[in-house]
Amino acid sequence: MEGPLGLHPWEIVMGNIMKGLRFVDSLSEWTGKVISFLIFALAFFVGYEVIMRYGFNSPTIWVNDLSTMLFGTFIIIGGAYTLRDSGHVNMDVIYGRFSSTRRALLDLITFVILTLPFLGVMLWKGWEAAWKSVITLEHDSTQWGPPIYPFRLMLPLGAFLILLQALAKFVRDLMIVIKGGEEGS
Amino acid sequence: MDIGTITIILFIVLIAALLTGLPLSFVMGGVSVWFTYILWGPQAITAVKANTFGVMQNFIITAIPLFIFVGIVLQNSGLAKSLYDMMYKWFGGIKGGLAVGTVIICMLFAAMTGISGAATVTMGLIALPSMLRHKYDKEISIGCVSAGGALGILIPPSVPMILYGLFAGESIGALFAGGILPGVLLGCMFIIYVLIRAYLQPSLAPSIPKEERANWKEKFISLKSVIPPIVLILAVLGAIFKGIATPTEAAAVGALGSLVCAAINRSLNWKVFRDSCYTTLKLSCMVVWIIIGGVCFTSVYTALGAVDLIKDVVAALPLSRYVILAGMQFVLFILGCLMDPGGIIMICTPVMVPVIKALGFDGVWFGILFTVNMEMAYLTPPFGFNLFYMKAIVPEGITMTDIIRSIIPYVGIQAICLVICIIFPELALWIPRKLIG
Repeated sequence: MEGPLGLHPWEIVMGNIMKGLRFVDSLSEWTGKVISFLIFALAFFVGYEVIMRYGFNSPTIWVNDLSTMLFGTFIIIGGAYTLRDSGHVNMDVIYGRFSSTRRALLDLITFVILTLPFLGVMLWKGWEAAWKSVITLEHDSTQWGPPIYPFRLMLPLGAFLILLQALAKFVRDLMIVIKGGEEGS
Repeated sequence: MDIGTITIILFIVLIAALLTGLPLSFVMGGVSVWFTYILWGPQAITAVKANTFGVMQNFIITAIPLFIFVGIVLQNSGLAKSLYDMMYKWFGGIKGGLAVGTVIICMLFAAMTGISGAATVTMGLIALPSMLRHKYDKEISIGCVSAGGALGILIPPSVPMILYGLFAGESIGALFAGGILPGVLLGCMFIIYVLIRAYLQPSLAPSIPKEERANWKEKFISLKSVIPPIVLILAVLGAIFKGIATPTEAAAVGALGSLVCAAINRSLNWKVFRDSCYTTLKLSCMVVWIIIGGVCFTSVYTALGAVDLIKDVVAALPLSRYVILAGMQFVLFILGCLMDPGGIIMICTPVMVPVIKALGFDGVWFGILFTVNMEMAYLTPPFGFNLFYMKAIVPEGITMTDIIRSIIPYVGIQAICLVICIIFPELALWIPRKLIG
């Protein structure tokens, strides 16, 4: 049985999986890169507040709320970017000595037992809370009182992105284990 | 099952999970989900969301990416280059002078940023090749860069101290103030060590040839490179210690100031800015995601009532409180060899600090001891961040073995500094009392 372009169906499936993995990678990369500039906005607005308060004795009511949102978004959305670059530190005293196949196997197990419950619950409960906030068009209970539901949506969004990236690693590990450690990146 | 058994199982599971090589954040988060579910049922796991959201909205933690940004911008700013030229002109003629200058620059960097990597990487790229070119022994030169860089976390501001303060409930300002004297002391001990070694064995760190030395005019002109960092240090630390600004606000001022520093050195361009943002995101997420996992884990541990249990058990031990303190420092040292300092703070602070306070010790003082101990954690193999940083940037021909060998005397000095801080608590407590009261 031949598919279009004379490829074996298995190759088409594999090709699509590879495409999906690359898509997840670039999604993490670009969301991270875009969100990373929030650090400058954060520094700018908090710095502005300091100048207004101590220089002109007229503190703002909105910088505090805004900086919280900038920081929270920066951190939660950036998790996937960091994971893509293997930037989340681990303890590799024993792990580092294993062969790549065995490491992949171990990663498969820990993904199911630990990563999935943690990020899955974060996504699930985060989404529940965010959705409740969206339908009530919740506003912050501070003096400025900006709409807070877009910020609440960042938590499930960030959890979704990092879970997706972790899932991509899971698929890669699966390929390594199946192929017996020849290749799979 | 009683609380004691559950606590023991909790920590055994945590350690076993850490050994699998999964990122710390996911380990702590995953373990906490399971224990929450088993102990308190399916409704309770919503705590994960509440904890994560709590971290996202925490204004103290907001200081962490800002201080990281300062470090990364300074790393790319060309400031280190002009500072090193200055040190070269002033100290090059002394035996061991280039290494002394390197440590001093590391101390200046440490007073502007809160991480260890910034000074380690910049000095590794600028000072190390220059020292090797001037026939400095590789042990002395690699060691002084790795050890000097680690001062970043002891001399305020300091990201690990923010973590400690958060989890121990101590004032960040007091911790920062407490780090000043021990940090300067440790830096001076490195300098004295280098000078003594260079005096006894001049071949290890020779003075630069006479014809390459600067005259007085050149020396004084070069001094202008220290002006921007000194202004930045005074602005950031001054604002915190005078109580004018919170650490987070001061960090934001520092972040803007570091961009100005880079502009003064004519090295602020789009690429530097962009790459600094990217790197800041990665390093910040690394730290803050560990905090997220750590908060989840700690909330299980606290809700379990394990804090009181451990406090009672340790208090009932028929041991001097100093033996217990020494035991804790030993545990921290061992963990420092194996783990990232952020994770260690996250796991150990909630366990150790209540005990320390029950024994009548000061929480700020213990925080400083903790940080001095973490200085070693950055250098000790197999898991030492500064070793990895150095390996990534050293010139060809220098192996990991060379790097590890080079840090041995410096770790020894750090251990001596730790003992000094234990014997003389005033070193850590005098400035906080004067400044904050």
